[in-house]
Amino acid sequence: MSSVNTPSHSLTVKKEFKLNSFLVKWEMILVYILVLINVILMIAKPNYYFAANTIPSIIQSGMDLSCMVLGMIFILLLGDIDVSVASIMVVCGMVMGLLKDAGMNDLIVVLCGLLAGVLCGLFNGVLVAKIGMPAVIVTIATSSLFRGIVKIRLDVNVLKNFPKWFQDLAWDNILGIPVALLIFLALAAVFAIVLHKGKFGRTLYMIGNNPVASLYSGINVTRTKILVFVIMGFMAGVSSIFFVGRMGGGLSSTMGKGYEMNVIAIAVLGGVSTSGGKGKVYGPVIATLIMAFLSYTMGLLGVDTNTRQIFTGIILIVAVLIPYFNKQLIDEIKLKLFYANNKNIEAVNIRCHEEVTEIRHKMKALKHDTSLSEADKAAKRKAYEDKIAALTKKCAQTTKAMKDELKQQNMKTNRALSK
Amino acid sequence: MAAFPKTRTSAQKQESIFERILNYKQFGLIVALILLGLLAKFITPAMYQPASLVAMLRNNSIYAILAIGEMVVILTGGIDISIASTLSLSGVISTTLMTQNPSVPAIVWVIVSLAIGALCGLFNGFLIGKLKMTPMIATLATMYIYRGLAFLISGGVWLFPNKFTEDFTVMSQGSILGIYNITWITIILFLVAGVFLSYTQPGRRIYAVGTNVESAHVSGIKIGNVTVMSYVLCGALSGLAGVLYTANYSICYYGIADGFEMQAIAICVLGGVSLIGGTGRIDGVVIGAVLMSVISYFIGLLPGLSVWQDAIQGAIIIVAVAINIFTERMTIKRILKERGAMI
Repeated sequence: MSSVNTPSHSLTVKKEFKLNSFLVKWEMILVYILVLINVILMIAKPNYYFAANTIPSIIQSGMDLSCMVLGMIFILLLGDIDVSVASIMVVCGMVMGLLKDAGMNDLIVVLCGLLAGVLCGLFNGVLVAKIGMPAVIVTIATSSLFRGIVKIRLDVNVLKNFPKWFQDLAWDNILGIPVALLIFLALAAVFAIVLHKGKFGRTLYMIGNNPVASLYSGINVTRTKILVFVIMGFMAGVSSIFFVGRMGGGLSSTMGKGYEMNVIAIAVLGGVSTSGGKGKVYGPVIATLIMAFLSYTMGLLGVDTNTRQIFTGIILIVAVLIPYFNKQLIDEIKLKLFYANNKNIEAVNIRCHEEVTEIRHKMKALKHDTSLSEADKAAKRKAYEDKIAALTKKCAQTTKAMKDELKQQNMKTNRALSK
Repeated sequence: MAAFPKTRTSAQKQESIFERILNYKQFGLIVALILLGLLAKFITPAMYQPASLVAMLRNNSIYAILAIGEMVVILTGGIDISIASTLSLSGVISTTLMTQNPSVPAIVWVIVSLAIGALCGLFNGFLIGKLKMTPMIATLATMYIYRGLAFLISGGVWLFPNKFTEDFTVMSQGSILGIYNITWITIILFLVAGVFLSYTQPGRRIYAVGTNVESAHVSGIKIGNVTVMSYVLCGALSGLAGVLYTANYSICYYGIADGFEMQAIAICVLGGVSLIGGTGRIDGVVIGAVLMSVISYFIGLLPGLSVWQDAIQGAIIIVAVAINIFTERMTIKRILKERGAMI
């Protein structure tokens, strides 16, 4: 019986590796962009580019917000957004600075800083998930609330007393590789395993795609959402260590403004959809490096900070829009331009196209067929070509006839309306 | 068969005046306003002098104008955080042009600023309505683009009062019947917006789209066009606010109005405009604007409280949204209870 022979393990779909589709993957496109920026920098400032310490320092310049990108991936996967991350980062920095001022142990300082981040994230998460407020407005409000708290405590003062090793983390290299990059990659690996290999990651995708369906299939949406916001807060805390280090061990209440925008831009550029349920960890990791190189390159080429913001904004828009220009949109445009907005005509054309491609496949198979002689092959090929020509001709004729019919109908209705 | 639930009009007729006042959506806000007013009577009696009341209204008119635009966008279920940048861009362009051509009448600059604002809004609307970007992301991006453009166009130059013509500044600073022109303009805009949203076809369409996109689409409303229209209106109002801002303070540089979008959103949320879209009325926004200006007056007046501004603002938004959500849930519960009693 044939039904017995159908393999039951075919449920586990494993796509075979195809070079063509691998090369046009979004992650690979990001790699090309990264290479392109490097080439531009190389050509524009060759002396500078090949100096010993340039590339590590470029990478270091982008690492202060890198950890928040990882947290933001999870948040965006849920279909939420968090614009309070920069403020949480400053809160964590303030807690660490104040505790160090009070003469605490370094370990306690860092732990309390991270705890502050967790609490801020918990606050966001409870408001969003438990009370059901929209994430946009909650985080807009908390971003001004958290920064406001820092302003109340610090006013215009600057905290200067931080553990010394913060700066080492942000500025040192091991064998020419920045320490910050190593830590970032390690964290990214953890996030990638959690997201792509674990049960929790699948839950996130499911909630992002359809929160109601995932609730009915027994997922605790509220708890998961709160947990993700807590993770975001924790990562903002981690980030504040690098941030304070980058700033040379100083912190004021106005620092890090606009970082949330960069973080979201990087995550979106990395291919994470803002409507939820789509995205991977690899993309944003590459996008972090792209942003670092891009802003450094523009800085070297003499573009000032405010103008750089325009580029960040444009990148954000382009990155969001590129997935939109997909097959569906092309089909829609075709329908409007060639098929007179009529689904029947489209259907006829698609059917014809499919048949033609099938015949083409047969022709290809014919080439590798060794059982037939050359003369037979030629004859068969001729027959196939004739078939294709006949099909396309017939398709064009039907299309024309249908379009004419549509036109006549339209004229009729127009006449009826004018009467 | 179960009895038909009562229609709304018949239910309303049976309510006494007292009940109607209690059920008025902005009742809580008015109570809060009265309480704050009483508090001011004891703490800062200076607030009740006519001069300071008028000044308070003048200083908060920009927020109110922005809030009207923001409300239109929020009603469709979107959000626009680029309004402050639009304000800055249109203010910078029209004021720079004004200083170069001082002989041109001021009304031209009003039209220019409206056009610039509408263009900015059109771009936002195109991204969101036609290309289906998330409103938050699209306006986050344009917020930085417009601010950057404002910097590029102004070249980072500050324009000081000596460059401003009398004709230009009188738009905001002049006064009729003791109230500043900018406040009059705001009042007129509130009236126009109220009529537009409640009594015109496009206004009702905005509510329809915000309440239920699917059913609006099925009933023949072009969702994309309505969305674009709402963002264009919001942008045009922000553009107008730009020229009024520079005329009001006689100063102009690319960084003006930083963070005003927060204030506008706060006013809308306070006024009972639901961020999910479809609910919210202009009277709520009026009361929200007045309440917000009283609160910021308090903050400005009490010594040592100015650093608290950000935190208080954030807390107010959170509390207001939470109250909104709870009252909505209560309303739904009440309606269900009434229906249950009928069956």
